[in-house]
Amino acid sequence: MATATTSQTRNTVYVAIFAAMIAAMGLVPPIVIGIVPVPITLQTLGVMLAGALLGPVRGMLSSLIVVVLALAGLPLLAGGRGGLAVLLGPTGGYLLGWIFGSLVIGALFKFWVLRQKSQPGRIITGMVSVIIGGIGVIYLFGIPWTAAVTGLDLATSAIGAIAFLPGDLIKAAVATLVAVTVHRSYRALMS
Amino acid sequence: MIAALNTSYLAKLPAGLKFGALLVVSIGLYLIGSWQILLVLLLASVLILLSARVNIRQLRMPLVTLLLILGIVFVSLGIQTTWDSALVSVLRLLTMCMFAYAVSLTTTFDAMLELFQQVASPLRHVGANPAQISLGLSLAIRFIPELKRVYLEVREAQHARGLANNPLAVAVPLVIRSLRIAEDTAEALEARGYDSAEHSK
Repeated sequence: MATATTSQTRNTVYVAIFAAMIAAMGLVPPIVIGIVPVPITLQTLGVMLAGALLGPVRGMLSSLIVVVLALAGLPLLAGGRGGLAVLLGPTGGYLLGWIFGSLVIGALFKFWVLRQKSQPGRIITGMVSVIIGGIGVIYLFGIPWTAAVTGLDLATSAIGAIAFLPGDLIKAAVATLVAVTVHRSYRALMS
Repeated sequence: MIAALNTSYLAKLPAGLKFGALLVVSIGLYLIGSWQILLVLLLASVLILLSARVNIRQLRMPLVTLLLILGIVFVSLGIQTTWDSALVSVLRLLTMCMFAYAVSLTTTFDAMLELFQQVASPLRHVGANPAQISLGLSLAIRFIPELKRVYLEVREAQHARGLANNPLAVAVPLVIRSLRIAEDTAEALEARGYDSAEHSK
């Protein structure tokens, strides 16, 4: 990178571009994967990538910007949803989970994954990190939120989330491979 | 879901007031345990929505999604507990969302964003820089159509190679090109002397 110090403005631009990526991924037709066609809305892929590529603070801010813009009324969420009702509704917890999910993925990538020297080591630790942050943390907010808002018990709420697990696992694998590949050519991305 | 040229009485109220009222109503709804009262409140919320002359077409897609989820919730809750409490729970959520739609559809995006920034303004004391927050929000909005275009371009290019449904072949170029756009933009901002960091320290 040309400049010696990463300025605050530069960081803000990176945060903004990943926020826009998360938003744009909700606006485009989903990619269809596999023999059994599973349409995948890519929005959480963006959340995972923001954390894995920008690190904890900037990654978290990217997700936060998308959440703020959506709540303020832009129809950025999959299916053109937006506005305050999204947060109050049964799936509001998943939205909050994005913010903490990208934080956790970013921290794990910065302090664990990128310290692995070998490529396979990075892929394995990266996959574990993305699953912890991008699935574990997001569900940790989403499932109890659904339970609290609707009155369903946690087990039923969790069963509802399992329907999204296969898609989320594929996204975690994609996010890991993309992040590891990009980090190899952009070494200074998180320093 | 933007207040598209809504000029009703609700649109004239300050955003902070509507937001505060929504919070109070949401908490209040959790204290009500009778489906009859909730049904009356639901009707009231619908009347408020209609009286504010919101564009109902904007609500169609979100409502379909919401009703689908609520339908599943209603059935599983009814089987697990009583149909009475299932009805209470579903009516409460629906009413809450109706009030939320009423606020969102009568408040402009700018007013809502300004309200959020006011709410977040105490963060200034823990090191957040308001100028950078505004820059981040407006750049993000500016980048969305740009990235959508890049995404569709990349997909089209990979489609020609038979890779349109290979997520890696789409995502890696998308990320690389996004990073390049970010670098160009950051350099352009720095070249024009935009650096709010110095003033904050």
